[in-house]
Amino acid sequence: MLQEAQAAAGGISGADLIQVAKYLAAGLCMGIGAFGPGLGIGNAVAHALDGIARQPESRPALFSTMIIGCAFVETTAIYALLISIVLLFVV
Amino acid sequence: MEWGRIIDFNWTLLITLLQFAVLLVLLRFILWKPTLQYLDKRRELIAARMTAAKTSEEKASELVGKREAELAAAKKESAQILEEARQRGEKSVADAKARAREEADRILADARTQVEHEREHVLADLKAQYAEMVVLGTERVLSREVRIEDHRKLLDQLLAEIDEVALHGVKDDS
Amino acid sequence: MREELGRLIEHLGQKEIATWHIGGFAMRVDPKTIVLSAIASLIVVLLALFLRRGLRQAIEDKPSRTQAALDFVMDQLQSQLLSNFGSSEFGRRMFPFIATLFLFILASNWLSLLPGLEAPTTNPNVTLGLALMILVLVHFFLIRTKGLRGYRKEFFSPWWLSPITILSEVVARPLSHGFRLFGNVFAEMVLVTIVMAKLEPFAVPIALRVIFGIGFGLIQAFVFSILAVAYINLATEKH
Repeated sequence: MLQEAQAAAGGISGADLIQVAKYLAAGLCMGIGAFGPGLGIGNAVAHALDGIARQPESRPALFSTMIIGCAFVETTAIYALLISIVLLFVV
Repeated sequence: MEWGRIIDFNWTLLITLLQFAVLLVLLRFILWKPTLQYLDKRRELIAARMTAAKTSEEKASELVGKREAELAAAKKESAQILEEARQRGEKSVADAKARAREEADRILADARTQVEHEREHVLADLKAQYAEMVVLGTERVLSREVRIEDHRKLLDQLLAEIDEVALHGVKDDS
Repeated sequence: MREELGRLIEHLGQKEIATWHIGGFAMRVDPKTIVLSAIASLIVVLLALFLRRGLRQAIEDKPSRTQAALDFVMDQLQSQLLSNFGSSEFGRRMFPFIATLFLFILASNWLSLLPGLEAPTTNPNVTLGLALMILVLVHFFLIRTKGLRGYRKEFFSPWWLSPITILSEVVARPLSHGFRLFGNVFAEMVLVTIVMAKLEPFAVPIALRVIFGIGFGLIQAFVFSILAVAYINLATEKH
């Protein structure tokens, strides 16, 4: 059975499988890792816009604070990116 | 030359940091130091101008206030003068009125006393004539001479009655 | 052209490493990145020299156009970067550093707009180096404001928490700080290179490059400097 499958695939070796796993893991890592920060940044920007709409004069303070908050939220996506890169090119 | 990995830490890190430090020093002397000094100086200048403008404005407003105060004082003074003049006029009018009334009163009183005198005079005359007429009447009636001395008592009583009538007659008549 | 782009994709994101021997000491360096960051520094210096011309006229005169430009730049930098400092006195002292950092990163990010050049910030060495510099600065300020005893207490006060504190403050913070910039610029470069290699009309990748390069380059430079301000501000806060 296994030998038949190997023959059909044209002789996939263990190294190839590891390669496939790397790509798959990197893609999944980035996809799932960007999900949370995407929601978080969306939330942050929505509330900042709410605040700006309510009090347009507080725009500068809100804007820079929002940027800082977005940067912190983004951190998990950055870690996901790091791990993806490590998976793809280093491991 | 060889291809490194994507995340490949090497001496580039330190060298670029050094470059950045050089840039920091360069910019501090080229841009930040003179620019910040310049901006400070200009801010001071603007502040000085603002204070100068403010002081001149204050002076102007002070002048205006003074002028207004003077104006108000003058107005008050003129009003006072007017008031005084009015009061003086009123007083003189009142004086004149009082004097006129006094005069009139005096004239009236004079006239009244004169009238009184006349009346007394007339009354006295009348009294005298009464006595004579009474005597005359009595002589006619009695057909003899009546001497006043003889009937002095009776006559006096009569005169007293006439006096009474003359004094209260007006009241009794009306 | 196609072959060249294919070669570009083959070593996408990789840097060519040279080995320099200085005094019998082997140093692996990336000469291209060094040259690129030197170009970025040069651009910043040229900008500074240009803006400096606004200082020539006397203060009392009506502002000239260079002075208006200088005013604009200084105004924007001061209002955007300094407003996040706790004390304005400290903000004034830190302003040259933060503003230089911002201008350098901005010039680096915008270097990818010039044909044939790429942003030196696509090399993680540059961004992580800057992040490590901020880390050192933050710890210097921590020691200065809290004293050595307070500094020790900051990291070891409940001793069982210290591994987490150290991991998050000393390791994760500069990593995320540096790799945020790197990741954004690198992703932009990868995206634009792939689109350029695969798409026939060149208008699309050029538009993409301009949009990404100008907008994201500015935002990332701003984020990097604002985060540096936030970290330094946290370190100088007295409790």
